[in-house]
Amino acid sequence: MLVLSRRKGEKIVIGNAIVIEILTVSGDGVRIGITAPGETSIHRHEVFTEIQEANRNAETVLGELEKTSLEQLAAFLRVNQK
Amino acid sequence: MPSINIKEQEYSYSEDEIIDFTEGLVGMPEMRRAVLVPLPDFEPFCWLASMEVENMRFIVVNPAEIFADYKPSEFAILNESETITLVIVKVSSDWRKTTVNLRAPIFINKESNRGVQLVLTDSPYRLSESLPQN
Repeated sequence: MLVLSRRKGEKIVIGNAIVIEILTVSGDGVRIGITAPGETSIHRHEVFTEIQEANRNAETVLGELEKTSLEQLAAFLRVNQK
Repeated sequence: MPSINIKEQEYSYSEDEIIDFTEGLVGMPEMRRAVLVPLPDFEPFCWLASMEVENMRFIVVNPAEIFADYKPSEFAILNESETITLVIVKVSSDWRKTTVNLRAPIFINKESNRGVQLVLTDSPYRLSESLPQN
Protein backbone atom coordinates (compact mmCIF):
# COMPACT_ATOMS: atom_id res chain seq x y z
CA MET A 1 0.00 0.00 0.00
CA LEU A 2 1.18 3.46 -0.87
CA VAL A 3 1.10 5.75 2.16
CA LEU A 4 1.12 9.54 1.75
CA SER A 5 0.97 12.24 4.38
CA ARG A 6 -1.37 15.14 3.63
CA ARG A 7 -2.55 18.19 5.52
CA LYS A 8 -5.92 19.84 5.53
CA GLY A 9 -6.61 21.42 2.14
CA GLU A 10 -4.09 19.24 0.32
CA LYS A 11 -5.02 16.85 -2.45
CA ILE A 12 -4.10 13.57 -4.06
CA VAL A 13 -4.66 12.75 -7.73
CA ILE A 14 -5.42 9.16 -8.77
CA GLY A 15 -5.18 8.35 -12.46
CA ASN A 16 -5.96 11.28 -14.71
CA ALA A 17 -9.33 12.25 -13.39
CA ILE A 18 -9.81 11.46 -9.72
CA VAL A 19 -8.91 14.07 -7.12
CA ILE A 20 -9.19 13.50 -3.39
CA GLU A 21 -9.02 16.46 -1.05
CA ILE A 22 -8.62 16.45 2.72
CA LEU A 23 -11.30 18.93 3.80
CA THR A 24 -11.22 18.83 7.58
CA VAL A 25 -9.50 16.81 10.25
CA SER A 26 -10.85 16.60 13.76
CA GLY A 27 -9.70 14.03 16.29
CA ASP A 28 -9.71 10.66 14.52
CA GLY A 29 -12.25 11.81 11.94
CA VAL A 30 -11.44 13.11 8.47
CA ARG A 31 -13.74 14.70 5.90
CA ILE A 32 -12.71 13.92 2.36
CA GLY A 33 -13.86 15.52 -0.88
CA ILE A 34 -13.76 13.38 -4.01
CA THR A 35 -13.94 14.64 -7.58
CA ALA A 36 -14.32 11.89 -10.16
CA PRO A 37 -15.93 11.24 -13.55
CA GLY A 38 -19.66 10.57 -13.34
CA GLU A 39 -19.40 6.88 -14.14
CA THR A 40 -16.99 6.18 -11.29
CA SER A 41 -18.69 4.41 -8.44
CA ILE A 42 -17.63 5.48 -4.97
CA HIS A 43 -18.67 3.63 -1.84
CA ARG A 44 -17.88 3.67 1.82
CA HIS A 45 -15.96 0.44 2.21
CA GLU A 46 -18.35 -1.05 4.76
CA VAL A 47 -21.29 -0.39 2.44
CA PHE A 48 -19.41 -1.91 -0.48
CA THR A 49 -18.62 -5.11 1.40
CA GLU A 50 -22.18 -5.33 2.69
CA ILE A 51 -23.59 -5.20 -0.85
CA GLN A 52 -20.90 -7.55 -2.14
CA GLU A 53 -21.81 -10.03 0.57
CA ALA A 54 -25.51 -9.71 -0.27
CA ASN A 55 -24.75 -10.31 -3.96
CA ARG A 56 -22.67 -13.38 -3.16
CA ASN A 57 -25.36 -14.75 -0.90
CA ALA A 58 -27.97 -14.24 -3.58
CA GLU A 59 -26.21 -16.38 -6.17
CA THR A 60 -28.99 -18.82 -6.59
CA VAL A 61 -28.81 -22.43 -5.62
CA LEU A 62 -31.97 -23.71 -7.22
CA GLY A 63 -32.49 -27.11 -5.70
CA GLU A 64 -35.87 -28.78 -5.48
CA LEU A 65 -36.76 -26.95 -2.28
CA GLU A 66 -35.95 -23.56 -3.76
CA LYS A 67 -37.82 -24.40 -6.94
CA THR A 68 -40.93 -25.25 -4.98
CA SER A 69 -40.44 -22.12 -2.92
CA LEU A 70 -40.17 -19.96 -6.04
CA GLU A 71 -43.28 -21.60 -7.46
CA GLN A 72 -45.21 -20.78 -4.30
CA LEU A 73 -43.88 -17.27 -4.36
CA ALA A 74 -44.94 -16.75 -7.98
CA ALA A 75 -48.39 -18.12 -7.15
CA PHE A 76 -48.60 -15.83 -4.13
CA LEU A 77 -47.81 -12.81 -6.29
CA ARG A 78 -50.34 -13.76 -8.93
CA VAL A 79 -53.09 -14.12 -6.32
CA ASN A 80 -52.14 -10.81 -4.75
CA GLN A 81 -52.38 -8.97 -8.03
CA LYS A 82 -55.92 -10.06 -8.68
CA MET B 1 -29.53 -18.94 -31.96
CA PRO B 2 -26.96 -19.28 -29.17
CA SER B 3 -28.03 -20.72 -25.87
CA ILE B 4 -26.90 -20.52 -22.28
CA ASN B 5 -27.00 -23.26 -19.71
CA ILE B 6 -28.57 -22.15 -16.45
CA LYS B 7 -28.87 -24.75 -13.73
CA GLU B 8 -28.86 -27.60 -16.23
CA GLN B 9 -31.43 -26.05 -18.53
CA GLU B 10 -30.72 -24.53 -21.91
CA TYR B 11 -32.16 -21.15 -22.71
CA SER B 12 -31.74 -19.50 -26.07
CA TYR B 13 -30.99 -15.82 -26.41
CA SER B 14 -29.96 -13.50 -29.19
CA GLU B 15 -26.68 -11.61 -29.28
CA ASP B 16 -28.42 -8.25 -29.13
CA GLU B 17 -29.98 -9.13 -25.77
CA ILE B 18 -26.64 -9.33 -24.02
CA ILE B 19 -26.43 -6.79 -21.24
CA ASP B 20 -23.15 -5.04 -20.76
CA PHE B 21 -22.29 -4.41 -17.10
CA THR B 22 -19.14 -2.41 -17.63
CA GLU B 23 -18.36 -2.35 -13.90
CA GLY B 24 -19.90 -5.69 -13.06
CA LEU B 25 -22.13 -5.88 -10.02
CA VAL B 26 -21.00 -4.31 -6.76
CA GLY B 27 -18.06 -6.35 -5.53
CA MET B 28 -18.41 -8.70 -8.52
CA PRO B 29 -16.43 -7.13 -11.34
CA GLU B 30 -16.47 -10.50 -13.16
CA MET B 31 -20.18 -10.10 -13.94
CA ARG B 32 -19.49 -8.15 -17.13
CA ARG B 33 -21.90 -9.59 -19.64
CA ALA B 34 -25.19 -11.17 -18.78
CA VAL B 35 -28.54 -12.17 -20.17
CA LEU B 36 -31.97 -11.69 -18.68
CA VAL B 37 -34.06 -14.83 -19.12
CA PRO B 38 -37.76 -14.80 -18.22
CA LEU B 39 -39.05 -17.87 -16.40
CA PRO B 40 -42.56 -18.55 -17.70
CA ASP B 41 -43.21 -21.18 -15.01
CA PHE B 42 -42.16 -18.76 -12.31
CA GLU B 43 -43.49 -15.51 -13.69
CA PRO B 44 -42.67 -12.67 -12.90
CA PHE B 45 -39.21 -13.97 -11.95
CA CYS B 46 -36.29 -14.02 -14.35
CA TRP B 47 -32.74 -15.28 -14.38
CA LEU B 48 -29.95 -12.78 -14.66
CA ALA B 49 -27.09 -14.99 -15.75
CA SER B 50 -23.46 -14.20 -16.39
CA MET B 51 -22.17 -15.20 -19.81
CA GLU B 52 -18.72 -15.92 -18.44
CA VAL B 53 -19.00 -17.17 -14.88
CA GLU B 54 -21.08 -20.28 -14.56
CA ASN B 55 -22.19 -19.85 -10.96
CA MET B 56 -23.24 -16.24 -11.32
CA ARG B 57 -26.95 -16.82 -11.66
CA PHE B 58 -29.39 -14.55 -9.92
CA ILE B 59 -33.13 -14.65 -9.63
CA VAL B 60 -34.35 -11.12 -10.25
CA VAL B 61 -37.73 -9.44 -10.44
CA ASN B 62 -39.19 -6.11 -11.39
CA PRO B 63 -39.75 -4.62 -7.92
CA ALA B 64 -43.06 -3.11 -9.02
CA GLU B 65 -44.45 -6.67 -9.04
CA ILE B 66 -43.98 -6.89 -5.28
CA PHE B 67 -43.52 -3.39 -3.91
CA ALA B 68 -45.89 -1.01 -5.64
CA ASP B 69 -44.48 1.98 -3.77
CA TYR B 70 -40.82 1.31 -4.41
CA LYS B 71 -39.17 4.41 -5.79
CA PRO B 72 -35.40 4.35 -6.12
CA SER B 73 -35.79 7.91 -7.24
CA GLU B 74 -32.58 9.58 -6.17
CA PHE B 75 -31.24 8.80 -9.61
CA ALA B 76 -32.88 11.51 -11.62
CA ILE B 77 -30.51 10.68 -14.45
CA LEU B 78 -32.60 7.64 -15.25
CA ASN B 79 -35.28 7.96 -17.83
CA GLU B 80 -37.93 5.60 -16.53
CA SER B 81 -39.43 4.71 -19.89
CA GLU B 82 -36.05 3.57 -21.17
CA THR B 83 -34.99 1.73 -18.06
CA ILE B 84 -35.67 -1.72 -16.73
CA THR B 85 -35.43 -1.83 -12.95
CA LEU B 86 -34.67 -5.15 -11.28
CA VAL B 87 -33.97 -6.29 -7.77
CA ILE B 88 -32.08 -9.42 -6.76
CA VAL B 89 -34.11 -12.07 -4.99
CA LYS B 90 -32.59 -14.30 -2.35
CA VAL B 91 -34.67 -17.42 -2.66
CA SER B 92 -35.13 -19.28 0.60
CA SER B 93 -36.31 -22.87 0.75
CA ASP B 94 -39.22 -21.47 2.77
CA TRP B 95 -40.84 -19.05 0.35
CA ARG B 96 -42.01 -16.78 3.17
CA LYS B 97 -38.38 -16.20 4.14
CA THR B 98 -37.37 -15.10 0.67
CA THR B 99 -35.97 -11.58 0.64
CA VAL B 100 -35.18 -9.00 -2.00
CA ASN B 101 -32.39 -6.46 -2.13
CA LEU B 102 -34.06 -3.08 -2.42
CA ARG B 103 -30.92 -1.21 -1.39
CA ALA B 104 -28.90 -2.08 -4.47
CA PRO B 105 -31.22 -2.26 -7.49
CA ILE B 106 -30.05 -3.03 -11.01
CA PHE B 107 -30.89 -0.70 -13.87
CA ILE B 108 -30.71 -1.66 -17.52
CA ASN B 109 -30.99 0.81 -20.34
CA LYS B 110 -33.24 -0.76 -22.97
CA GLU B 111 -31.68 1.15 -25.84
CA SER B 112 -28.02 0.60 -25.12
CA ASN B 113 -28.39 -2.66 -23.14
CA ARG B 114 -26.01 -1.32 -20.57
CA GLY B 115 -26.60 -2.27 -16.98
CA VAL B 116 -25.44 -1.03 -13.61
CA GLN B 117 -26.09 -1.90 -10.00
CA LEU B 118 -26.45 1.21 -7.90
CA VAL B 119 -26.39 1.55 -4.13
CA LEU B 120 -29.10 3.75 -2.66
CA THR B 121 -27.35 5.62 0.10
CA ASP B 122 -29.35 7.36 2.82
CA SER B 123 -32.39 5.42 1.81
CA PRO B 124 -34.86 3.49 3.94
CA TYR B 125 -34.64 0.52 1.58
CA ARG B 126 -33.08 -2.62 2.94
CA LEU B 127 -30.63 -5.17 1.67
CA SER B 128 -32.90 -7.97 2.79
CA GLU B 129 -36.48 -6.84 2.55
CA SER B 130 -39.09 -9.43 3.43
CA LEU B 131 -42.17 -9.84 1.33
CA PRO B 132 -45.31 -7.99 2.31
CA GLN B 133 -47.18 -10.54 4.41
CA ASN B 134 -50.73 -10.33 3.16
